[in-house]
Amino acid sequence: MSGGRLRSRSSLSLSLLAPLILVALTMAVGANGTPSLRGTVTMILCNLIIVLGLQVFIGNSGVYSFGQLGFASAGAYVAALLTLPAAFAALQTPALPHWIASAQLTPLLSTLVAAAACGLLAAVVGLPLMRTSTLAIPISTFAFLIVVYNVLANWDAISGGSSGLVSIPRTTSIGAAGLWAGAAVVVALAYKWSTHGYRLQATREDEVAARSLGIGVTGERLIAFALSGMLCGIGGALAAHQSGVLNPTTFYFGATVTTVTMMVLGGARSVLGAVLGAIAVASVNELLRGFEGGGHIFGVLSIGRTPGLTAIGVGLILLATMIAMPDGLSGGREAGELGWVRRLRTMRPSPGSAANGAVAMKKIERSGEGALRAEGISVAFGGLRVLRGVDLTLQPGEALGLIGPNGAGKTTLVNVLSGFLAPDAGTVSLDGADVSGRSPARLARAGLSRTFQAALPFPHLNGLESVAVGAMGVGVGRREAVTVAARVLDRLGMHEQAAVPAGSLPPASQRLLGVARALATGPRYLLLDEPAAGLSEVEGGELIAILRAVLDDFGCGILLIEHEMSVVMSLCPRVQVIDDGVTLRVGSPAEIQADPAVVEAYLGSSYLAAASA
Amino acid sequence: MTELVQNLIDALALGSLYALIALGVTVIYSVMDMMNFAHGEFIMLSAYALYVLAGLPFAAAVGGALVTGVLIAIVAERVAFRPVRKADMSAQLVTSLAVATILQNVVMAAVDARPKSVATPTFISESTQLGAISVPNLEFLTLALTAVVLVGLGWLLYRTRAGLAMRAAAENFEMARLLGVRADRVIALSFAVSGALAATVGVLLVMQTGQVSPTMGLTPVLVGFVAVTIGGFGKMFGAVLGGLVLGAISSLLGAYLPEGLLPFRDAFVFSLPVAILIFRPHGLLGAATGEARV
Repeated sequence: MSGGRLRSRSSLSLSLLAPLILVALTMAVGANGTPSLRGTVTMILCNLIIVLGLQVFIGNSGVYSFGQLGFASAGAYVAALLTLPAAFAALQTPALPHWIASAQLTPLLSTLVAAAACGLLAAVVGLPLMRTSTLAIPISTFAFLIVVYNVLANWDAISGGSSGLVSIPRTTSIGAAGLWAGAAVVVALAYKWSTHGYRLQATREDEVAARSLGIGVTGERLIAFALSGMLCGIGGALAAHQSGVLNPTTFYFGATVTTVTMMVLGGARSVLGAVLGAIAVASVNELLRGFEGGGHIFGVLSIGRTPGLTAIGVGLILLATMIAMPDGLSGGREAGELGWVRRLRTMRPSPGSAANGAVAMKKIERSGEGALRAEGISVAFGGLRVLRGVDLTLQPGEALGLIGPNGAGKTTLVNVLSGFLAPDAGTVSLDGADVSGRSPARLARAGLSRTFQAALPFPHLNGLESVAVGAMGVGVGRREAVTVAARVLDRLGMHEQAAVPAGSLPPASQRLLGVARALATGPRYLLLDEPAAGLSEVEGGELIAILRAVLDDFGCGILLIEHEMSVVMSLCPRVQVIDDGVTLRVGSPAEIQADPAVVEAYLGSSYLAAASA
Repeated sequence: MTELVQNLIDALALGSLYALIALGVTVIYSVMDMMNFAHGEFIMLSAYALYVLAGLPFAAAVGGALVTGVLIAIVAERVAFRPVRKADMSAQLVTSLAVATILQNVVMAAVDARPKSVATPTFISESTQLGAISVPNLEFLTLALTAVVLVGLGWLLYRTRAGLAMRAAAENFEMARLLGVRADRVIALSFAVSGALAATVGVLLVMQTGQVSPTMGLTPVLVGFVAVTIGGFGKMFGAVLGGLVLGAISSLLGAYLPEGLLPFRDAFVFSLPVAILIFRPHGLLGAATGEARV
């Protein structure tokens, strides 16, 4: 692995070439077929662009949108109205402004305008929708689809109403559709492998962990939503110019289900999957369409006219995929990541190579000026007062242990410090600046990172990607982020795990990866919430040993929550004990161990009584 | 004044209908965290029972619709939703989308793509005069049915063992299982309840429009989803509140929107709730839950 690469050159080119070859093959089949087949294949290519649009948003964010076909609809209408011959325009859309009706753009120009319009529309629509929750987005985007339908179907004088538009110039050739589809493949992959694409994928894998790495979920979703809207608009525009007719139901509920099925069957996380799924579902559709008008199966079984047959087929494919093969035909992987490809070559970063990377970790100011300071933090959950006026100071470069019995409020305090929880009272300041109420993502970008009691891995990203996302989250460019990630992994002795999907690593490695991920953000302050929780004693011991060896290199201030007292005592020169929401004692390990109040909190007064008796 | 009262009664009746839809969606969501797209098709199939059983006395046909709604919901759960019970919310949502597509198009293939008219008792389409205002009997029926359903649901949830199990499962499914609540039975029961609610809505919709069509469930299920979203996911009271709010928005827009914009009523009805979500991303009642111990 040369610095700055997330995958080997061969893996990259295979991932890019495989879907492009599939598109080219599809084109070849259509171009050499009958005119009717050519038309069908052209339409499949147009639909493929829409499916790639879905993949960009849904595949990378893991959040379903049922509104993307609304953008396809919008793109189709924009392109159609800009190219409709004047005589037909006057007839079908009498109120259309003259400058639009007489625009008479070339097919290419009208597609570009549709793309721009839909990208803009998606950005505007996404602005409020992306702020809502993961569960509300599918619903509000579905509502958007119905709004688009409602407007198009009733705005008779502009859109032609529910009967729609006819006599749209049929200018989309199979070559043009193929070129656009190829371009869409490249765009989808380029996005997926960009810093924005990786940040969004991180939010799909684990939203909470992604936020802790500086990733703004809303913003990343919005970028993908706009790009997706643009691709869908292009697909819609090309489709309108292929079929020559358009109405409000062309890209409505049925088309939404069909394109979602294509994406899911192929494997939503993969661009290759989008191509595979689009071709597979379209082929089955064509087969079934032959029977919709009635006919014979194998010359024996005769069936009557059955409207809905293709849609039933699509529904069954979707249902079967969800039940039996949720990762789809591609398994959610790109061509270069498929198992049999990986076995052909061993992609492993050579240890040490990363150290040549020119980029150094952020240098930590060790002057006593700044600190992470919490003052008078109080939190109540309902009537339960979890924290009652706790103060805490963490200097850069120091290791502070935070201990206390179960339920003392340790994790709550870390949640407050890292911005995941707003305190009822009290302030948090970072290097002198009041940061109370800032989001976890902003705090991470300001130099405060954390880990969680659970490992929260990014299961479908490999080790190197998982850690690189940490650097990307705080705004480091892709190449630099990979160099940083390789360095961190190297330092933690994890280069073996760099190419393995995080989801298939053992728990201990996932934990360590979580720490590596946080370190890659170049934190000035690092909060470690029970890094050894859930590990065996041996694994935990190893983890702590690595931490001890490594943490000094990175020079950040560390807040360590840990139950294993010996670990805290040996790692942290200063320890803060909290119990029942208040600070019991701050001092050196020796002072802490000698304090009767601390011993009582841990072991109960009866122990003290028994001990002194 | 009279007009306002009239409009408010209309709004309340429509809101009640929406609340019934939202409740049907919520009963399942609260127990297994699944937004069920196929709820619209449960409604549609119950309505088709009225069409198929048109020869029988209307009351018997309504009974048939109720049985249809409950059965189809239970069968859908057993065949399609049980296998994806462990999958995430998005996967379950997409699965229910597949079920919706299949059911909708099977009806299209088996009956017809075009709407079919269904005869309903005449008193439904008449109105009762209350002083200066005249209230359609259907609105009375809707309000009465909603009241009955709410009381019945309240009784089921708070006065029976099965209801206790459902509430426990809604609070914490895994814990409820560990304490001996039988998951399959609770989920089947929620689907049965949801199916019965869908049938109630299906019958009311047929009474309102006098017809059935394969796509008649699409708008209702969106109404249910949006109502649940603005009310706050998984909360029975939130579902009722969301339904009433959405009904009021829709009804008042119908009454006060300028003539030229009236055809775009649906566009407004489905855009406005998003404004609520901007200010309260978790709905009116859904407080931002405290961070889980991660």
